[in-house]
Amino acid sequence: MNTVAGDLETILSSGIRLAAPLAFAACGEYVAERAGTLNVSVEAMMLGAAFCSIAVAGLTGSATAGLLVGVLLGALVGSAHGALSHRWHVNSFVVGLLLNALVLGLTSYLATVGNPSRHQVELVSVPGLRDLPVLGAPLFVERWPVYLLLALVPLAWWLVERSRWGLELRAAGENPEAAHMTGIRVNLRRRQALLWCGALAGLGGAYLAVGEVGSFNQNMTAGRGYLVIAAVIFGGWRLGRTLAGCAVFGLADALRLALPALGHTVNSQLLISAPYLLALLAMLLFTTRQRRPGALAQPFRRTP
Amino acid sequence: MTRAGPWVSAAIVTAALVLPGLLIAVTGGSPSAALRALIQGSLGDATAVSQTLLYAAPLLLVAVGACCSARSGVFNIGQEGQVLIGALAGAAAGLRLAVPGPALLLVVLLAAALAAGAWAWLSALMNRLRGVDIAVSTLLMTFLAQQVVAFAVTTPWLLQESRLGEAAALPQSNKLPSGALLGSLGDHPGLQLNLGLAVGVVVAMLVAVALDRTRWGFRLTVAGLNPAAARHAGIPVAAVGGIALAVSGALAGMAGAVLLASPLSTNRLQPDISIDIGWDGLLVALVARNRPLLTIPVAGLFAVLRAGGNFLAATGVPPYLVDVVKALLTLAFVAPAVMRRRSVVA
Amino acid sequence: MRLRGITKRYGAVVACDGVDLTLERGEIHGLLGENGAGKSTLMRILLGLETQDSGAIDRDGRAVTIAGPREAAALGISMVHQHFSLVDPLTVWENVALGRSGPVRRAAERAGVRAAAQRYGLAIDPDARVGTLSAGERQRVELLKCLRRDPTVLIMDEPTSVLTRSESAELFTVLRRVVAAEHRAVVLISHKLAEITTATDRVTVMRAGRVVLRRATTATTEAELAREMVGREVTLGAAVGVLPHATAPASPAASAQTALRLRGLTARPGLDDLCLTVHAGEIVGLYGAEGNGQKSLGDVLSGLTVPDAGTVEVAGASVDLRRPGALSAAGLGIVPEDRHHAGVVLDLSVAENLVMTRLGDVSGRVFIDRRRLRRRARALADEYGITAASLDSPLRDLSGGNQQRVVLARELSGRPRVLVAAQPSRGLDVGAVEDLYARLRRCASDGIAVLLISTELEEILALTTRIATIFRGRIVGELPTAQADGERLALLTGGVA
Repeated sequence: MNTVAGDLETILSSGIRLAAPLAFAACGEYVAERAGTLNVSVEAMMLGAAFCSIAVAGLTGSATAGLLVGVLLGALVGSAHGALSHRWHVNSFVVGLLLNALVLGLTSYLATVGNPSRHQVELVSVPGLRDLPVLGAPLFVERWPVYLLLALVPLAWWLVERSRWGLELRAAGENPEAAHMTGIRVNLRRRQALLWCGALAGLGGAYLAVGEVGSFNQNMTAGRGYLVIAAVIFGGWRLGRTLAGCAVFGLADALRLALPALGHTVNSQLLISAPYLLALLAMLLFTTRQRRPGALAQPFRRTP
Repeated sequence: MTRAGPWVSAAIVTAALVLPGLLIAVTGGSPSAALRALIQGSLGDATAVSQTLLYAAPLLLVAVGACCSARSGVFNIGQEGQVLIGALAGAAAGLRLAVPGPALLLVVLLAAALAAGAWAWLSALMNRLRGVDIAVSTLLMTFLAQQVVAFAVTTPWLLQESRLGEAAALPQSNKLPSGALLGSLGDHPGLQLNLGLAVGVVVAMLVAVALDRTRWGFRLTVAGLNPAAARHAGIPVAAVGGIALAVSGALAGMAGAVLLASPLSTNRLQPDISIDIGWDGLLVALVARNRPLLTIPVAGLFAVLRAGGNFLAATGVPPYLVDVVKALLTLAFVAPAVMRRRSVVA
Repeated sequence: MRLRGITKRYGAVVACDGVDLTLERGEIHGLLGENGAGKSTLMRILLGLETQDSGAIDRDGRAVTIAGPREAAALGISMVHQHFSLVDPLTVWENVALGRSGPVRRAAERAGVRAAAQRYGLAIDPDARVGTLSAGERQRVELLKCLRRDPTVLIMDEPTSVLTRSESAELFTVLRRVVAAEHRAVVLISHKLAEITTATDRVTVMRAGRVVLRRATTATTEAELAREMVGREVTLGAAVGVLPHATAPASPAASAQTALRLRGLTARPGLDDLCLTVHAGEIVGLYGAEGNGQKSLGDVLSGLTVPDAGTVEVAGASVDLRRPGALSAAGLGIVPEDRHHAGVVLDLSVAENLVMTRLGDVSGRVFIDRRRLRRRARALADEYGITAASLDSPLRDLSGGNQQRVVLARELSGRPRVLVAAQPSRGLDVGAVEDLYARLRRCASDGIAVLLISTELEEILALTTRIATIFRGRIVGELPTAQADGERLALLTGGVA
């Protein structure tokens, strides 16, 4: 019994750690997609931020400074994406893939040349609660930025569902023509959403680097950006379900890592591909229950 | 188009050329030496040129396919996965089918094309049934394809190599029989002209003719340019797009078979056999603005960057800067993408 | 609000020519005119979507400039859009809030919508999703959205085109309340004479960019308005002058073959059990105010939409409308209303556009025969007088008239039994219109059944032998052109008769 609880605790802990970067970025991507942009560049935002956070943490000696710069870099990638796709009307998928390639090349080069050092933020543990059985350690002994999620998730929800900005943003994502007629600057709102997406994806990437791992390795995000997109799709463009998707994906990854060590055989390919399969299945099966923005991935250009 | 368009492109081209040099200089290297190495490694001698041409073949195939789907208004970005599925099917055919001699090569190429074509067509089907965005589903299916191949080469009853004695089996397939390999064309001292390149060039020309000179190509182009007018003219737009997507996948799959059967790989199916050819091939098509004949020189350029990049690594400069150049150059070409298309009647 | 001497030109066309319009608070002002009379341009100027070439706008005696939609909104000018400004997946109150500014206070917004709905007697649930609402309910939301902005001038453009009779009546009650109790000015743009006479206080009639009548509504009659709207003299003088009524082909013998039969066509939105027959050799005009289902009919006959019910028969045989190109194969050619949408491919060459629908004629089983393609394109271009620098240049480079000729040439090259021309003269200059009319008449004399869908009365009167009027997606009247006059038709299409 004791070992089962222990195993469960290990898997939960690692699941949460693996899900946290996804959750940050998903709070960003969710907003961008509600505004109508399906930006593949989340990967670039996360990877670039991961690198910069480690580099800046190395320079300043402060992991917090690293996190902040990571957020800024993510926002920078977001604004580049916004300018290219919602100002100069380059295909958004193309922009995303190119930004991913660009950032992957740059960070790989710089990481090889610069050999960044190790830096990590502090672990915090919540007294009392951390001693709870099974759930205590996974939930209450964490690197502190994880707890930012407690504020950011409600904020993302509030922004989209309750603020005027969010209302206009949703209008831009659902029906850009109508939004335009009402006097909303559609492409501006979409660029702003991308900026927010960049900042949060950047936070996710930076957290991965200075929070969890403590260092940067080449291509360290390894497709997490695409996982985030899969999570938003799986969640049917609802924030709660999107985050549930992140948790499921994180747990699947944790299982893949933990089970062999515990003596179970496991089909790791199935676990790795589960998120993408689930996202595809969600699109095929649950179309009616989704809140897919009406103009998702459709550019908006004013007719002269 | 915004008036800033051309300026943006110019700025990006400049960045593509200056930024890598700057980075090399800042990190203590010599930009000119790196450039020399890049050229040396790709065009310097017969071996280098051979290497470059080897890379050009699969790039060309992927790019030509991308032209087909893009021209029909369908945006396929899952070539990387389609390359993998093609390699998988090619390996399965090459290892399992008892076809004698060079005919086996043909079977490998066809199996790869069929499998990857069907794989890509699934996206068209999902779009037809449930309106799933094709760009999204082709992208997601790329990650599935990676795991399918990884599964195949780690599963003994599928394609994992047979164990020899004590050694543990690696995650790869057995080596393809020699009959299934792409040999060299002609006999040139030093220079290797692989059959794969011939396949690529012939396919590019065939597709160019098909797009510009046949009824099929015409219908496809009309469907891409104006779906409403196409329907009015009796063209079943969705079906035409689905076929174009399948062709695009089939050609990417054929690229996978070429990778598998040419000296670019160990002639074994491995999880990383696609070496990003699918992504790069898509960029080639973007730079060539979806014109099949233009993909030939552009694929050449990208192959130069690849072969040169590998050589660069040998001289101590990390090759990743080449990816930066590729991405920025492509960006420069797509930034003024609103440039008016010329008519297809030359 | 006063508009003085507003003039707006588009190239050679004068859309508004020295228009004066005074809008008083507490008054519903009817603005009446045919399509192209300049009403929309005038309103677009008022909304800041266009700037006038000359003329001035005063508000409460002070001159103002309206540079853009924001300025217009700040001046209290607001328009109830017909179809475009609601976001379906959002709720009613969210849509209403979208038009406002400042933080979104849910409870207050909801209460505001509820209060406004009650005040104006517009029953609506603030929490309903707009996508689930009927056309009439959507109209209420549009109206609420405008009224919540507290406008001084409220513009309504053809507000009743999608409404049922009782919904229209309800709308006018609300408008009456808006002007009487809240002292706003309302501009009601309409084709429907009955609406204008029952709902407005003053009426201005525009024709060809000028104001031709300005009067208190009580001092006028529907007959007078219809007469003024259409005009006694023919405005398309040059084009119609060459085609006087007298040369219209005699009505085909009663035994003439039925070439096109539409039976019970129903499609959402727009078509409601539409039945119509066109015989070989006659030109039938389908006349009606814009937005009464003509566009849906055009889409069905172009093969773009499959109707919910009903059949299209060409030469007696029912056409399977689900098969792409079936109509064309059955012998129905169409000059669609929106050329650029479904008629042509701008980025293909002129030659390719000319052969697009009949590719089989210029190709073998697989390959296109470039030489045959060119020869055929050249022949068609010569026959139809298409002037292009080169037949290989993109169609985009051609003038509107030449593009229209390309469509006509292509559709007629298949020797169809039926030709449908939807608003064919729109956007063409006088010379091109003249040429087009001559072609249509030649078609009829060659034994083709021609269906002319148009909102231009002169066109209908000059070309057709029989007129069917369309109102809310069905045919409401049919009469030989010889018995038709502008007044009678205006009454029919205004839904009076």
